[in-house]
Amino acid sequence: MNDFSELEKELRKLRPAQPSSVLFERVGDALKDCRASAAADAKPRRWRFTEWSRRRASDIDGKLVRARERERTSQTPYSNWWSLGFGLAAAAVLILFAVVTMERRHEERETIAQSSTAPKTQPAPLRAERSTVPSRFVPAGGTNLVYNTRDEGLHFADGSERPLRRVRYNTQQTWRWRNPETGASVRVSYPSEEIVLIPVSVQ
Amino acid sequence: MEPIASHENWRNCFSEVAPGLLLFARQWVQSAADAEDIVQDAFVKFWRRNHNIHNRGLLYSAVRSLALDFIRRDARRARREATALAEAEPAIEPHFELEDDAQSALAAAVESLPRDQREVLVLKIWNDLTFGEIAGALGISQNTAASRYRYALTNLKKTLQPQ
Repeated sequence: MNDFSELEKELRKLRPAQPSSVLFERVGDALKDCRASAAADAKPRRWRFTEWSRRRASDIDGKLVRARERERTSQTPYSNWWSLGFGLAAAAVLILFAVVTMERRHEERETIAQSSTAPKTQPAPLRAERSTVPSRFVPAGGTNLVYNTRDEGLHFADGSERPLRRVRYNTQQTWRWRNPETGASVRVSYPSEEIVLIPVSVQ
Repeated sequence: MEPIASHENWRNCFSEVAPGLLLFARQWVQSAADAEDIVQDAFVKFWRRNHNIHNRGLLYSAVRSLALDFIRRDARRARREATALAEAEPAIEPHFELEDDAQSALAAAVESLPRDQREVLVLKIWNDLTFGEIAGALGISQNTAASRYRYALTNLKKTLQPQ
């Protein structure tokens, strides 16, 4: 190891690049956040696309990252606000949609109730309507797509002396039903496997 | 040394370890900004869990694992950047603060080492970790750590020898 002592000394003289002052601020903020909320995990705050495009620009210009760092950290709060804003907007739309749907259903029920002259028989049409809705769907077609075929060679069935070739097919079956009145369609697709035994005649 | 995570002032502690940590993180990521993100994440996690100096290897292990996660997660972005940067001039983000040509040559030689040797060298020289701590951080045996260190120095010596 003594052979390397000079080299080690030279290596130790090399000083690693210092972190930016912004990093200290970010760590400080993250630790502060941690104290405020134990659940909040300290993820690096960044806006990837902005950061990437800025980096590319600065690299092409041959400039160092200092200015970029300042720019980037000045942008970071916005990424959180944007996410929060989008989240709230999405939640508001969902709530609005749910409310509208519920109101519409409520109105439909009221209309049915008002137009019915025989209150005793009122549930019957509803049940009938519900039960007939699925029956309006008629088969509209089906496909059986074979996406893999494997020849598993010759086999002898139990007690048989005649060889059989076993072929395994992997398929994707798709069935469609369509409601001619509303135009709605239902599609069911599932993978399946089929094994076919083909008698082989030996001559 | 006193427990690293019991400092009242995390700033002192962080300023001691940050340059070495950054250098270590940059074994995997080219960009200094990405390395800083990784170091920030690792240090904050380490600090929150109140690890002490005896578990210092954990801090480096965390940096390594976050860096590897980063590479996996951002492989697409990295490819895109590599394509963009290949067309542009190479970015100058030195790993070291260089004072003269001899140091530049030495730094270049370090950067040309295989990654497994370089990470041991970085942990040993610029982070003052013992072989035991290096072994813990990298998930290898102490003997492997020591032999990688020896290989790294041998390779450096060969590279720096005048032709």
